[in-house]
Order: sequence, then C-alpha cells, then structure tokens
Amino acid sequence: MNDKIQLHPTLKPTVAEGEQNTESEQILTNIGLHTTRTQSIMEKLAILSDAAKYDVACTSSGIDRKGNGRDMGNCVAAGICHSFSADGRCISLLKILMSNECVYDCKYCINRKSNDVPRATFTPDEICELTINFYKRNYIEGLFLSSGVIHNPSYTMELLYQTLYKLRNEYHFHGYVHVKGIPGTDPMLIQQIGYLTDRMSVNLELPTAEGLEKLAPNKHRKAILTPMRQIQNGIAQGKQELALYRNAPSFVPAGQSTQIIIGATPESDYQIMSVAEGLYDKFGLKRVFYSAYVGINEDQALPSIHTASPLLREHRLYQADWLLRFYQFRIEELLNERHQNFNVLLDPKCDWALQHLDQFPVEINRADYKTLLRVPGIGVKSAQRICKARKSGALNFDNLKKIGVVLKRALYFITCNGKMMYKTKLEEDYITRNLLAEREKLPFDKDGMTYKQLSLFDDTHENAEQYSNLY
Amino acid sequence: MEEYVLICEGSTEGILTGVYEAYLLKKRMGIESHNCIHLAIKEPEMQRLFTHYESIQTDAKKAEKVSNTIERQLGKETWYRISMAMVSCYEDRADAVYHTIVLGLQLRDNKITDRLQEDCVQRTFQCARASDNELCHLKQFLRFLELQNGMLYAKINAKHHVLPYLMPHFADRLPADNFVIYDENTQIFGLHASYQKWYLMQGVDLDEERLVYSELENEYQDLFRRFCESVAIEARVNPALQRSMLPMRFRPNMTEFQ
Repeated sequence: MNDKIQLHPTLKPTVAEGEQNTESEQILTNIGLHTTRTQSIMEKLAILSDAAKYDVACTSSGIDRKGNGRDMGNCVAAGICHSFSADGRCISLLKILMSNECVYDCKYCINRKSNDVPRATFTPDEICELTINFYKRNYIEGLFLSSGVIHNPSYTMELLYQTLYKLRNEYHFHGYVHVKGIPGTDPMLIQQIGYLTDRMSVNLELPTAEGLEKLAPNKHRKAILTPMRQIQNGIAQGKQELALYRNAPSFVPAGQSTQIIIGATPESDYQIMSVAEGLYDKFGLKRVFYSAYVGINEDQALPSIHTASPLLREHRLYQADWLLRFYQFRIEELLNERHQNFNVLLDPKCDWALQHLDQFPVEINRADYKTLLRVPGIGVKSAQRICKARKSGALNFDNLKKIGVVLKRALYFITCNGKMMYKTKLEEDYITRNLLAEREKLPFDKDGMTYKQLSLFDDTHENAEQYSNLY
Repeated sequence: MEEYVLICEGSTEGILTGVYEAYLLKKRMGIESHNCIHLAIKEPEMQRLFTHYESIQTDAKKAEKVSNTIERQLGKETWYRISMAMVSCYEDRADAVYHTIVLGLQLRDNKITDRLQEDCVQRTFQCARASDNELCHLKQFLRFLELQNGMLYAKINAKHHVLPYLMPHFADRLPADNFVIYDENTQIFGLHASYQKWYLMQGVDLDEERLVYSELENEYQDLFRRFCESVAIEARVNPALQRSMLPMRFRPNMTEFQ
C-alpha cells in the first residue's frame, strides 16, 4: 500500500479557504507535541484508526432520523454495518481518534504517554472531508470520534466540539455521530457537544474502582460517573423539552453507552454483570460493551502479553447481556455469590433452564411471551412469531420448525398440544449430555471450549442488532 | 378434478394480473375452490394430465385494481410483505402470493402474513424474507464511485429485483446528489437527480470502460482500503466470521475487496 499519497489541493479545506487554513494550522501549532505537520492524510488515517481500533463500540443504532430533504444523511434505528474487517467485526462508523497524543499513562492503553509510538493529529477540516466523502460513497454510516488527552480533558473536548460543529453546520452532515466523553471535562462542554452528537459514551474502562486505580492512575471512578449522570439527566430533560416544543434541539438522541475491559483485572463474571445491570438500571445506558483484553503493553500490573484474550468469556458476557436486555432476566437468576462465573460449556440461557427444570416443559400454545423467551432454542423473533401465529390456530412441531425455532435444543423443554416431540427424560444429566452433543455454534470455530486456544472473535451482537429491529 | 394453471409474467404487474385473471376464471368457469387454480411464471417443461394451461397478458390496469384491493382490505404492512415476496427470484412465488391473497381476503385478516402455519403464507414469508435480506445487504454493501462530473455510480448484481426499494433509501440519504444504481442482472438503472424524484430506466446499454472517474476517487478508495486494514485486530482475525457476515458474492462490487 502506498503510504505517501500526495494530498490533492481540494482535499484541503474548501470552505472559506484562506481563513480556514490558517485556523487549522493554528490548532496544530498550538498542540504541536510530537505531531508533525508534514504527515499526509493517509499516514494520519493509518495511525489514528489503528489507535482507535481497541474501542469496541461501532454501532450506528438507536435512532431513526429521516433525511431532511436538503442535507446529506439519515439514520436507521437498527443501524447499518457497511463492511466487516478481517477480524469479522463490523465497520459501521469512521472510527478514529482526533489525536493519539496523550498526557495520561493508563497501563493497558497503546497510546499511553510512556509508549513510543508514531503520533498524529487530525485537523477538524480533515475529519469533516473524510467523513463526507466516505459517507457519500456508502463506505460508512457516520463518524465515531474519540481522542487521546491533549493538555487536559476540556481542551481536548473543545477540539472535538469544534470538529462536530463544523461537520454539522458547515458541511451540513445529517448522519450518525458517536463521540467519546472524556472524564473531567467541563460540564458546559459536555452539554454543548450533546446537541451535536447522536450517541455519547464515557468508558468505564474497568469493572471496579480498585482495578481502575491500579491500571489507570489518571482516571477516577467518580470522574467517570459524573458525566454519565449528566448525560443521563440531559437525555431525560431533552425528551421532556421535545414533548413540549417540537423543534427543541435533541440531546444525545441515540442514548449513551460504555465499555468495560475484561480479563485485565481479576473480577468475576458476577461482579462484571452486576456492574452492567447497575448501569442499565441506574444510568439508563443503551449498551454496555465488553472488550476482551488484548495484551499490547508489557507491565507488571497487567497479565502477560502472551496471555490469549478471553474471547469465550467475552462471548458469554454478551450472551448474558442480551438476556438482561431482551429476555427479561435479572442477573441474580444467572449468577450469585456461590456461583460466580458462567459455565464455559453451555450458554447462560441453557444453563439457567437446566437449573430450573421444574419450570419445564412449557406448552407452546398457551405459555406467555416471557415464558417462551426462556426456552432454549427460542429467540426473540421466534417468540414473537409464535405469539402472532397461534392467534389463528394451534401450532404443531412442524410449524415451529418453519417459524425458526431450533428444535434440537427446544424439544426437551416444550410441548405442543400437550405432547412432547419425542419421548425424552426431563433430567438434568440426560439433557446436558444431549445438548452438548449438539455442539453450540460459536462464532469462533474448532475447539471453542478451551478458550486459551482461541484466537478468533465474534460480533454476533452487532448483527443481531443489524437484523432484528429490537430497538 | 380438473386443474387450471395460469402462466403470467414474473414482474409484480404480471403476477397481480395473474391474480385478477384467476378470480375471473373461477367465476367464469364456476370453479369450486381456488385450490384448483395455480399461477406459474414459466411454461412447465412437462404438462400434466387433466390440467388446462393458459397464458396471461400483463395488464397494468388489472394489476392496479388488485394492488388497490390488497392495500385497502389487508393494510399497508401486508401489501409490503406481499410485494417483497413478488420481487424475489423464486419460481413458485406467484402461486404462494396468489393463495396468500385469497386466504387473506376470505378471512378478512389484515395480519394474514402472521399465519405461518399455512403453507402458502409460509412460502410467501420465505420469499419476502429472502428479498428483504438482500435489500438489507445492499444498503450495507453497495459502493458508489464518483465520476468526473460529480455524479455517483454504483453497480449491483442483485438476485432479487430489489432496486425499486433500494432507491428511496439512497434518495432520502443523498438528496442533493446525482446518482445512478445499475443492476447488472436485470440491466435496469435507478436514476436520481439532485432534489428530484428518482425513477427506473430500462433498455439502455452501458459501457463501464467509458466511465471517467473523478480525480480524487482513487485517493478515497485507497484511504478506505487502508482504514479497513488498520481497524482489524490481529489477535482476533477470523475469516470464517467475516465470510458469514459479508458473503463472497457481494465482494466483487466492493471497493475494499478490489
């Protein structure tokens, strides 16, 4: 790949040229840490997209916004993935950092101050040009903008604000924008940015305050939760204003999300999921993302760089997260003090069903929606279809199969018109054996059971989001 | 029992005309049940005994009557599902749609497409799902190229004829741009001019070799390829997963795989 593509003159700012140029350069000169001004857009994009890749959230979901008939862009509630990278993860947004200069020294982060990596900084205009031109070619659904901390959080967020302001008001971009909130920023700035972006996320980074203190000495739990609470209140207030005045500006309309690193610190699944449940309940988050720790830095406080990242564990956490959000489960039903981690052999829903055989089998033609959701092999879509279809006549096993129920798994737990599909025992060992024989379809193939050998990843959640209009 | 097979065109209008003619035939011949009548979109290779075959001439007026009836009696949602089924590529779609419509009108059920225990509804559902999925895929994977005059051009190879449903999506998204989507399989163009209504065009030849791309086109393509490369995490590389998310058949038309 040719790194040294010369910048075409028109790639540079086109709006109010002379003035803009000097302003952009001014910004770079002000920052001028390690970044050199001679870098091409290609070099910067390579450095700054590489630096942003460990951020997992790349969804463009949560808001339906029609085009206004004048400007470029609209949003689709289910989100749209435009491509899939070699790791099978979805590429939905132009995911970049504004800058990978950083004054912080978080142990797990590739961009930490003490790392010697190539540094680069985009100007606001460069980001806008890239976004507009990628968007119109249907490469992306919008912009995901994050940044390393330049000087201090407020200074950095102001740069992000300038960029978004330009994008919305000078380039008239009407598509999806996701921006990171940096803890410790002036609340006024958070408020202003909230009116320009669709989703905002403040990373929780590590599940517990102790972990955070150990690995991210410059960040504090309280500083992270403060903007989260502010955004939550802003969203609630915004909704109220919108109900009163039709044209009130919307504040973070696609909601906020966060991400937690898994496996860098020794928390149990129970602790992690309890934190997630708390965030959903108390902070009204749209999504919590789990990111299996990938060893990049050698550090005493971190797992060895050769430790395989815990992909199966991450997969189980996402499955459980799904159960919380769409299957009406509570975390106490899945895990407890004595039973702190998920079963590696079975998915959390199967595991739960096997522990609660007294509640099965359920009658397909009579059980309510909530009960149907708890049957292994029946997903949200098939449960909805069952509820609709049975209104006009009883269903049999053949119908269920056509509707999309995975009978191989469901048959131990259901009856149709009072009959089970085969003669089976309702016995934990027997069912477990049979379910295990029907190997679970994991997004990483071969020996998915011993997760040390895994090198592969899933993003089924992205696609579930893509294909089912669950929002 | 004698059976009747009406052979209609595969287009939406053709199938709807077929439905109209089937109702007419039933009345004219005093046929007891719609189950004795079938629609097909192709002459069968081997004709069956005791079966009458008849070819139907597509008629826009008759088709409109049927579509109006469906929309009025069964609702917009049902009409959407049924029209998605009609644009799919399966040969039995006409018959499935016909019997679904019959059932819906008999039962006066505007949720007819939920009755998945009926075979014809099930089949209609499968057809509609297939074209719906492709529509989703094309919204994701279609790639525009910028031509010298600023116009955007995209080529697709769609299995199902979803172009009419794809156009509104991009017209809403890029109202100010002139763009063309060309479906190579059906050789139909979808055209959209800046701030105007989109339309479809047929019967024009396109020589791709003669298209001239804008000066920046190559640079943006390289930038995007570089971006796709650098966002992948090496420790998680998983071609099988990538393939299941992004089927190979879309890749020839996608910038990042060229």
